Amino acid sequence: MDVSFSGVGYTYPSGVEAVKGITLDVPSGQRFAIVGQNGAGKTTLVRHLNGIFQPTVGTVHVGDWATTGHTIAELSARVGYVFQNPDEQLFARKVIDDVAFGPKNLGFDDERAAALVAAALEQTGLSAEAESHPHHLSLSERKRVALAAVLAMDTPVVVLDEPTTGQDEHGVRMIASIVASLQEQGRTVIAITHDMDFCAENFDRVVAMAHGEVLADGTPTEVFAKDDVLTEARVEAPQLARLADALHWDRRPLTVDAFVEQLPRSGA
Amino acid sequence: MIQLDDVSYAYPDTDHFVLSHMNLSIPAGSVTGIVGASGAGKTTLAKILSGFIPHVDGGELSGTVVVDGVTIAEASLADAVSHVGLVIQSPFNQISGAKFTVREELAFGLENLGVPRDEMAVRVAEVADLLGITGLLDRSPYALSGGQQQLVAIASMIIMRTPVLVMDEPTSQLDPGGTRMVFDVMSSLRDSGITLVIFEHKLELLREHADVVHVLADHQLIAHGPSRAMLADPRMEEWGIGSTRFTAAASEARTKKLLPADVELPVSIEDAATVFASFASSKGA
Amino acid sequence: MSSTLFDNRKSVIHRLNPVTKLIALLAIIVTVFAIPLWWVAGLIIVLVVVPAAVISGSGGRLLSLSLRILLPIMLVLFIVQGLTFPGGKTIIWQWGIIDVTSEGLLFALGIGSRIIVLVLASILLVLTTHPGDLMSALTERGMSPKFAYIISSTLQLIPAFKDRADSILLAQQARGLSLKGNPLRRIKIMLPLLSPLVLGMFTDVEERSTAMEARAFGSTARRTSLIPVADSMVQRIARWLFIVLALAAVATPILLGLL
Repeated sequence: MDVSFSGVGYTYPSGVEAVKGITLDVPSGQRFAIVGQNGAGKTTLVRHLNGIFQPTVGTVHVGDWATTGHTIAELSARVGYVFQNPDEQLFARKVIDDVAFGPKNLGFDDERAAALVAAALEQTGLSAEAESHPHHLSLSERKRVALAAVLAMDTPVVVLDEPTTGQDEHGVRMIASIVASLQEQGRTVIAITHDMDFCAENFDRVVAMAHGEVLADGTPTEVFAKDDVLTEARVEAPQLARLADALHWDRRPLTVDAFVEQLPRSGA
Repeated sequence: MIQLDDVSYAYPDTDHFVLSHMNLSIPAGSVTGIVGASGAGKTTLAKILSGFIPHVDGGELSGTVVVDGVTIAEASLADAVSHVGLVIQSPFNQISGAKFTVREELAFGLENLGVPRDEMAVRVAEVADLLGITGLLDRSPYALSGGQQQLVAIASMIIMRTPVLVMDEPTSQLDPGGTRMVFDVMSSLRDSGITLVIFEHKLELLREHADVVHVLADHQLIAHGPSRAMLADPRMEEWGIGSTRFTAAASEARTKKLLPADVELPVSIEDAATVFASFASSKGA
Repeated sequence: MSSTLFDNRKSVIHRLNPVTKLIALLAIIVTVFAIPLWWVAGLIIVLVVVPAAVISGSGGRLLSLSLRILLPIMLVLFIVQGLTFPGGKTIIWQWGIIDVTSEGLLFALGIGSRIIVLVLASILLVLTTHPGDLMSALTERGMSPKFAYIISSTLQLIPAFKDRADSILLAQQARGLSLKGNPLRRIKIMLPLLSPLVLGMFTDVEERSTAMEARAFGSTARRTSLIPVADSMVQRIARWLFIVLALAAVATPILLGLL
């Protein structure tokens, strides 16, 4: 399902203008990342997708729905939103019950709900913890429970807010593979992240934000080539892009394969 | 400075040992990084090093823990915390809640110790400057973003000037700029003689700032070494800790015989720049 | 997020030692409740509360806050007492079976005037006194630091927990939780809302106590305070004067046989 922001501006009741006139179209099945320092307006922007914020000006569409006409609960059938802090949502005594909460609210029949829950636990590596109490798990596991809870809702759009913080390498790889499989299923993935390597390796499109505005919009290769944008958005280029700079290369590879490809062959 | 001999620990009401037969020796005035996959027991070890186990959490602790010359189990908690400080993971909970401005929040620990007012004011100004939060001093600690709260939480422990400082993922809420600054502050504290132990996932920064890295896996400290050698160790993958892209790229280049087989694998950008500049130049250059 | 009502200004009233203001407030409350004459309360409002509010510059906020609290109370008080006061004989207004008696209104005036003084003076104290300063001043006078901690942290953590409750509500709605429905359903949906809040609170309390110990909260040293609490000889004398006045107010009606 495609989503779009048309001239979206949002001003907090305190008068802070967090998002200013943003227009973006995210086509169905795209892996779309937003980067920028804390306070750039990233979270405020994506929270429009499930109606937590309604735009002060402009419109937000999720498929054929304008978000203004729908409640958060209604929009949850289309947009799954994984919040940063899992402890603000986990409540059940068993991981499996927590993951089943969303599908039940959406009115899925038992058979479908059970299949979705099992698949979500499998994907997040939590099958063995299905009967555990969420609060007995580590923070990185709890974050994966929160992710599973949203995957099980089988929404056409999935929003991930800082999915890799607090994850070890193993967890980051698992999330990367989930992003890939969501795309294979044709679902739209929108992520906010501070992890530029994760962003460069797993997303089709990157938007850099600062002061509530879009500074750059393009493929990771395009965006991470723009020094002025990276400086203004206060983000660091991915590790290998920085290494290419240190080596005075004129192209910035973003992945290990691309980097090695750019190395001279022996005997060349 | 820190000495653990045959330390084992099980949480109250469990017979499952989170840590077993652990030995650790950390010299004074060093920065030590401790890495481990999640669930390896990092937070538990941080609490043992700072005396909260066994004094607060209870449970069954065996072996001896000596920090800054004090045998933790025999000292009182108040005595232990005067030798070793702990920065916990959640900045929200490191903030006292009892103070209405960041300035007073930073002074909270010093007030408890009865430090004279003039000295407190000087130390508050110093630590605020060190962490770049002078502009926040008159704000409410609760009106700050997670990242700003984390800087206040770190500052509120640094101001205590304990000879040993243990930090449990102190940069989890910070953006890359803030993270880099906190690591720079750690290096400057080390230069002033403080011993730091830091539990972190960010391998590139550990390589740049830690002298020695220990690996926590299978309930034990199973390996340690100088930061570069340890973090580039191929076993880091099987321990679930992973490696930086610099290590991965050099390792891949070595497999493809684009780097010599005996090249020392890089961990940070500086290591990598040196390795690749001396053995390879880009066709794109 | 503003966690307190404190109105940050630089007036003389704001700069007074918080203990002076607290004792003045207590003396005023004792006086109006000891002397059962509505015009005493009126005099205090005109001679003490209003001038103090004007000097402080917080008069506008005092008025709007107090009105919101006092209007409903006063309406109920005058209607109920005016109509139903048991000793009411002098009927001043009648409509059907409804009798408004002057005894009832006078009784309402007596009670009402005291409540007005109580509310106005208390809100003025809150508006002009930073809670942190009040705690420092009380700790300096020997209040237990643990007690001071409980009061100040309650003041601040309640808004913090309210923020968290809001976040939980949003997170669960984003998982399809609908807030519509009959009362029984509403009770059922409390679980996913309350459970993360309560569990989170337990974890927080445990973690925070560890963090506070790390910052020497268990120290037995004599505590100091970063922010000096302003005080002067005049204020010290004034505080004793307030205490004497309050005692006199308690004694007067007994001596004059007013009660």
